[in-house]
Amino acid sequence: MRMTNLAPALLAGGLLVAMPVSVVLAYDGTTCKAPGNCWEPKPGFPEKVEGSKYDPKHDAKEIAKQQTSIQGMEERNKKRVAYFKKSGKWVYEVDKIPTE
Amino acid sequence: MRKLLNSVSVLSVMLAAQMSLSSSRAEDKLEALAKSEDNWAMQGKNYSANHYSTLTLINTDNVKKLRPAWSFSTGLLSGHEGSPLVVDGKMYIHTSFPNNTFALSLDDPTRILWQDKPKQNAAARAVACCDIVNRGLAYWPGDGVTPSLIVKTLLDGNVVALNADTGATVWKIENSDFKVGSTLTVAPHVYKNIVLIGSSGAELGVRGYMTAYDVRTGEQKWRAYATGPDSDVLIGDDFNKANPQYGQKGLGTATWEGDAWKIGGGTNWGWFAYDPGTNLVYYGSGNPAPWNETMRPGDNKWTMTIWGRDLDTGQAKFGYQKTPHDEWDFAGINFMMLSEQKDKDGKERKLLTHPDRNGIVYTLDRTDGTLISADKIDDTVNVFKKVDIKTGLPVRDPEYGTRMDHLGKDICPSAMGYHNQGLDSYDPTKELFFLGVNHICMDWEPFMLPYRAGQFFVGATLNMFPGPKGDRQKGEGLGQIKAYNAITGKFKWEKMERFAVWGGTAATAGNIVFYGTLDGFIKARHSETGELLWKFKLPSGVIGHPIVYQHKGVEYLAIMYGVGGWPGVGLVFDLQDPTAGLGAVGAFKQLANYTQMGGGVMVFSLDGKGPYDDVNVGEYTAGATSIIWQSPKN
Repeated sequence: MRMTNLAPALLAGGLLVAMPVSVVLAYDGTTCKAPGNCWEPKPGFPEKVEGSKYDPKHDAKEIAKQQTSIQGMEERNKKRVAYFKKSGKWVYEVDKIPTE
Repeated sequence: MRKLLNSVSVLSVMLAAQMSLSSSRAEDKLEALAKSEDNWAMQGKNYSANHYSTLTLINTDNVKKLRPAWSFSTGLLSGHEGSPLVVDGKMYIHTSFPNNTFALSLDDPTRILWQDKPKQNAAARAVACCDIVNRGLAYWPGDGVTPSLIVKTLLDGNVVALNADTGATVWKIENSDFKVGSTLTVAPHVYKNIVLIGSSGAELGVRGYMTAYDVRTGEQKWRAYATGPDSDVLIGDDFNKANPQYGQKGLGTATWEGDAWKIGGGTNWGWFAYDPGTNLVYYGSGNPAPWNETMRPGDNKWTMTIWGRDLDTGQAKFGYQKTPHDEWDFAGINFMMLSEQKDKDGKERKLLTHPDRNGIVYTLDRTDGTLISADKIDDTVNVFKKVDIKTGLPVRDPEYGTRMDHLGKDICPSAMGYHNQGLDSYDPTKELFFLGVNHICMDWEPFMLPYRAGQFFVGATLNMFPGPKGDRQKGEGLGQIKAYNAITGKFKWEKMERFAVWGGTAATAGNIVFYGTLDGFIKARHSETGELLWKFKLPSGVIGHPIVYQHKGVEYLAIMYGVGGWPGVGLVFDLQDPTAGLGAVGAFKQLANYTQMGGGVMVFSLDGKGPYDDVNVGEYTAGATSIIWQSPKN
């Protein structure tokens, strides 16, 4: 894993002039901030997109919908399994599961 | 609750560790069943998922004599993926949406023993990215208390266990909610008493998760997400201990900006494998969402990752991310195939091999995730220069990356990958993997779009076309089939195909590799040389894999026909715009000139020998009060 950026070394050696800029600066995936964290912005792109022209502006309510849905499914499944274990009968419609 | 779960997990890990110390391991019933050549009891054939049959009755000398023995239409169109199962003299057949199931007797397959026809909300179809396919059934042999079961997934997100003898529903639970774009196309995988269910929907921003259920009751045992906090991803204390350079703690959020991981993809809808020795289940997580890379800075862990998880607790022992910060939709879900081979230093290794969408075929030590080899599936791969074995990092060629306000051109592989969902095979005697390969490249330009739960969240326009070795003018030469050695990295043979070899392969000790093609053939090649020995024209193209089994002394070869899946979306939904179908319509514009939709199973044997050699078998008998049939005379 190459932890250092080659650009300063190449600059010092005066090689930058002879090489296309993209080769030196472009994101090639081998310069890592930490193990397993090697992303870099591409030339001309920001480190963070928030507030930039590429800000996805995600709606927090929309983004929360999947987790709410999963919690609902897990709760309904628990009721189905609990009744099945108790009675030996499978009732899928949760509102039809006998309470007694 | 989480605290309780964790303490239970720790206990289970300790118990599992103790158990693995004991020298003898009791083989479970399903594992034993899968070893009989009379059965094909799971997708992948066995826990190692090697798709290899030791049968030799059909071999290179007589394969030319293969003829159809019988066939069955499922009554449905669209893509028919996966394969039937064969257990205890019965064949179990699944279909595309609405995911019907049929049980047939191998002695008299004309009589449908039972059928299950789920009522599903048709709206689920609208959120399926890539045709209304399903990859198959799972079987569990019963334990004396609970009967033997057929477990299936429904596109609408339910998982159902049916009594394997009667077809009656034993349990049915909700795994995925199509209203938020989450569907199921993955085949359930049963190991011991646990059924594993993946997830689909990264094209709709679905955050992926893998769930384990008790096969007897449908009770949830664990659920592991592909992104987010370590407690959600089930990252344990010793995670990646052998390879800390892969990354360890906190990366499921640290490699994302803000909350983007909550709609981060990483669904897993491919194939799994299991090693009872390590008690680890192996699978790959899919692509991050959206396809527009600029909208999600960071490595986007743990999408695109090869996982080794404890079957009982779900705790991840290792995770190796193949494609950090995906820019091409190289959904990392492809098959995992286990083998035992000597590495280059002569050390006997327990391995897993995995040909990825990104054009690299990876082989890892399956006990700790150490990378053994990472070879290009074809020398025309250009997105990566190579994969550094020591660091595990792919060296990207920035020329072939994607980004906003830029049209990337001639990128290889395309988003369809150089390998997709096909379930291939491994011949342990030859130490060769038989890979059904795609040869498709692309142009790609992303665009900005908002996330709305339940709506597509792709954000890229693609043009796809044959790779450099195909015919770009004609639109043909989109596939290859290759025999590969994972240690030497050499291809013993390679052959071009008209279309992508999408469905996978099966290998036998008869020195044959079988596979179906999108233009509607089942083919047999010599597994040593790749020479084409036999083919038969099926009613429709193939996107599933062949199976081989023996019944009453006769070796049979079975395969599903019914074109569709991603390559078939143009044909199935009658699309013309080359960029429609996520770019697949243009790439497969020639497909409709070779095949139309279908849906069914064809079964072959030498000289077509089969259950109806005695013409009286299956006949109506006047005055009989019940169906009478005779066993064929052997």
